[in-house]
Amino acid sequence: MTPLSRRTVLRGLGAAVGLPLLDAMIPVGRLAAAAAPPRRPIRLVCMEMVHGAAGSSAIGAKKNLWAPAATGRDFDLSPTSLRPLEPFRDHLTIVSNCDVENADPFTASEIGGDHFRSSAVFLTQSHPKQTAGADVRAGISLDQLYAQRFGQETPLPSMQLCIEPIDQMGGCGYGYSCVYTDAISWATPTRPLPMIRNPRVVFDTLFGVSDPAASPDERRARRREDRSILDWIVRSAARLRAQLGAGDRTRLDDYLESVREVERRIAAVEARNESGEPRELPSAPAGVPDSFSDHVRTMVDLQALAFASDVTRVCSFKLGRDNSNRTYPESGFAGPFHNASHHSGKEDRILEFAKINTYHVKTVAYLLETLASTPDGDASVLDNTLVLYGSPMGDSNLHNHKRVPFFMAGRAGGALKGGVHVRAPNGTPLANAMLTALHALGFDDLPAFGDSTGTMDL
Amino acid sequence: MTKLFVAALTALALADAASNVTGTWNMGLQGGHVVPVALVLKQDGTAVTGTIALPTQHAGERKEVELKGRFDAGALKLSGAADGAAEETTIEIAGKMLDDGSLEGTIAMVAGGSTHSATWTAERLKERRQ
Repeated sequence: MTPLSRRTVLRGLGAAVGLPLLDAMIPVGRLAAAAAPPRRPIRLVCMEMVHGAAGSSAIGAKKNLWAPAATGRDFDLSPTSLRPLEPFRDHLTIVSNCDVENADPFTASEIGGDHFRSSAVFLTQSHPKQTAGADVRAGISLDQLYAQRFGQETPLPSMQLCIEPIDQMGGCGYGYSCVYTDAISWATPTRPLPMIRNPRVVFDTLFGVSDPAASPDERRARRREDRSILDWIVRSAARLRAQLGAGDRTRLDDYLESVREVERRIAAVEARNESGEPRELPSAPAGVPDSFSDHVRTMVDLQALAFASDVTRVCSFKLGRDNSNRTYPESGFAGPFHNASHHSGKEDRILEFAKINTYHVKTVAYLLETLASTPDGDASVLDNTLVLYGSPMGDSNLHNHKRVPFFMAGRAGGALKGGVHVRAPNGTPLANAMLTALHALGFDDLPAFGDSTGTMDL
Repeated sequence: MTKLFVAALTALALADAASNVTGTWNMGLQGGHVVPVALVLKQDGTAVTGTIALPTQHAGERKEVELKGRFDAGALKLSGAADGAAEETTIEIAGKMLDDGSLEGTIAMVAGGSTHSATWTAERLKERRQ
């Protein structure tokens, strides 16, 4: 029997819903010879948080507020902001004590512009050209290197998501274009990729992109009718269901239920935000939840659906924006983010800032939890994913780029051992960790990345 | 022999750097947090001229102030007037060079009869090309 194509989609008017990996997509001979299952594609998530971490300050480093005291496998996460990741410690690769020198000023005119150029450095590890015009230049970002080589088989080579507003034009300060602050993915050294903030846009992109009939008007019409996207594909889903075995039917039903659940949450947020009730984020699109954690969770769920349906294998996810004074009361500290990061080197304020860092890391725990519970054949998506999380800034009170917070999670299909903390020698470029990650992702032939000086034993 | 020669050259270079403030300095003003500002100096004998790029009240903007003064026996004194301010504003900088070649000191901004002071440290910028 001919296996079902991995690219099979359930089609309806203005909708095209990709499918999770089903047994019916695996050739019978190979399924029977399960001793050598095919290697699943590796998914990549790159998450950036701005403003460094409390653990990058002198006091914070001594108190192990970011990196644990012990290196190797026997590390204690409890004093650190990484403690929400304890359930996933076997998937963790913590790389501490690295610097991002390409975010430092190179000339007198660049001094003081750290907030306006750092984000452009995070995934490119390249020094951005100081310009407020259109002649921007940084480097190709890590996620885009991967997407360009391994993301071409999927409908979307990559997705770029963000939480904070990124619609500023022109120069943002110190002679830097706003794109340096707003974009972390660079397709070429001169082409930053726009990031999507609105979960509705992500949802429509994921479940309409493959259908040539899915015009924006049709998508809007569908929403006006207050119907689920699944209502449009009900016949197509029933036809497919009839061809599937019991296990695949359960997988399909669970998956479609997840799609419906995310869609329902987005619709509920839109209804609330369009109701005329006062909003905390009045200028945000209706699909954007006012709550940071709700917003992040929805974006994470969308990424999990994108990976499960193989619509894309690469996501970059910008969680913050430099100079943002957003508050995170759920962190246990209600003060504004940017002010908290300027802690004056005082221990009590450093500890407050650490609460925000811990809260942000919790978002990664949710991502890992979600990916771990998303099936990928007979494994989970997490088994076949690499997550990078970090900041291009170190001690934000000094605006430096030393001892930057960084870790990886997931085992990249077995290429990373996980469960390890590596403290790099002083002065090690973070680019070394990223080059090592790229090698784990299949770039064995890549000799250098950014200002890397070598690889690390991870 | 080669090692001795290199050591001697290094010592000479350090001595020269210690007696001269010419160059670009990454200066950290110690306020509620450390604000990085560019201090660019040129020394001729003991006379020093230069600029300091101070942040304004508008985020992402800065104002360059011309400075004049002296660097003598490890002590730095500079002053300048900010053009275009609503009221006459003068900048007074005092500092000293430390053994590691960095600078530290105080900066005072005098405007409308009141003085705002802050301490600062500065390191030479490793100027690089992209």
